[in-house]
Amino acid sequence: MKVERIQFERTGGFAGIRFAADFKPEDLPDEQSKELFDLLDDLDFNELPEQMMDENTPDSFTYSITVKTKRKSHTVVTGDASAPEKMQELLQLLNRIARNQMRKQ
Amino acid sequence: MHKHFPVNCIVPPHMLEDIATNGTAAQKVLAINTLKASAQMVGKRRALSDFTGAALRVAVGGKERIIYDAKNGSSLPGTQVRKEGDPPSTDVAVNEAYDGSGATYDLFKEFYQRNSIDNNGMRLDSTVHYQKGYDNAFWDGEQMVYGDGDENLPINERLFNRFTIAIDVIGHELTHGVTQYEAKLTYSQQPGALNESMSDVFGSLVKQYTLGQTADQADWIIGAGLLTSNVNGVGIRSMKAPGTAYDDPVLGKDPQPAHMKDYVNTVSDNGGVHINSGIPNHAFYVAALEIGGNAWLKAGQIWYVTLRDKLTSSSKFQDCANLTYQTAGELFGTGSLEQQAVKNGWAAVGLGVEGGNGEPTEPGDGCFTSLLRAIGAAPAK
Ligand SMILES: [Zn+2]
Ligand SMILES: [Zn+2]
Repeated sequence: MKVERIQFERTGGFAGIRFAADFKPEDLPDEQSKELFDLLDDLDFNELPEQMMDENTPDSFTYSITVKTKRKSHTVVTGDASAPEKMQELLQLLNRIARNQMRKQ
Repeated sequence: MHKHFPVNCIVPPHMLEDIATNGTAAQKVLAINTLKASAQMVGKRRALSDFTGAALRVAVGGKERIIYDAKNGSSLPGTQVRKEGDPPSTDVAVNEAYDGSGATYDLFKEFYQRNSIDNNGMRLDSTVHYQKGYDNAFWDGEQMVYGDGDENLPINERLFNRFTIAIDVIGHELTHGVTQYEAKLTYSQQPGALNESMSDVFGSLVKQYTLGQTADQADWIIGAGLLTSNVNGVGIRSMKAPGTAYDDPVLGKDPQPAHMKDYVNTVSDNGGVHINSGIPNHAFYVAALEIGGNAWLKAGQIWYVTLRDKLTSSSKFQDCANLTYQTAGELFGTGSLEQQAVKNGWAAVGLGVEGGNGEPTEPGDGCFTSLLRAIGAAPAK
């Protein structure tokens, strides 16, 4: 199923500064979109629980990732300590994309 | 004006316990007797056997720190790289985490008689070099965790330096641990913003303490040095002027309010805990400045005792205003300059204090002062 759109938001953290990105993977450089799709596949993203947030971790980030296909939209909310290794990689990639978007605005 | 005799005062029991635990033999006896008497009169938070036990128990465990290196991974705590008493490392982040957690321990121990995060000598664990490009620090419920900022980006794109660079960030994280053991302020909405504010208050006090600054000398900036020169800003938050710490094309503008009329209602950031903390932060700043001198001595003491003994998990700003006012009266006297300063601090952010008004005593003649005088730790009048 073709991913049409991805929305990413990082909130909280010590600085409380919001980072966000809203993009079509087709607009990314080929290399980056391949990395992104590989990670989503590896994670089996659509099967992940919607709430993966950890409790009681002041200042950790809250991440919200929404992956939209034609038929379906799946959102996962996660934190730093609770995210598995592959998820950490995905979060770091999305962070980089968000930073690029924010810079361009 | 009533005659002040310690037993008749509503002395914060912990103050007495501290004396009962740390004082000279004669001071201990007096403090314990006062505790017993006041316990019968006003009720108490702890069982009597608790503090007499504490007084007899030999203090064990002091400052104990361990610094770990996550080596840019995300598993915690990582590899141990420095422990208490070890010589400095060649890694500056390791040394900053070590020194910063040490200074925080010292402030709480020396001025608030608190033995570490749990007041029972809990080891202070910190992990540095968490993940790659991690522009954050947090308290995970058991330890402090620090990222290196945007060290993985080209220099001209970096926004954040390593998070151990600012000692108030370290004090901030460690104070989250203290709050977890004391008021247990829920990390959401107003209780969450109070939780954040307490961390900023003691984080800033740790910095002021290490620099030996008075309230009017301090910059009251949280996270000075954290932002790179690519960002237009002096730090992450300003307690002196919330909302003015940064204004940048990429990061946006510091969103903190300095007054209740500008309180931000939002669902993100756990209901704006890092945003609305500007309000109680500013109240503390105004009170500390008005009291004058080193802010950790009096204003810090008032906030600490309130955090330890009075705030609860669901406390809101108004509760904190009332309770710090009440505490100031207990520590320094009803109508004292210190209590008035606390009232003015909250008034500056749009909160009037309720309760705690009794007959005025002469300035500075609070129960704590009277007690110190009675046990010979303060000069007689
Ligand atoms: Zn915090
Ligand atoms: Zn009295």
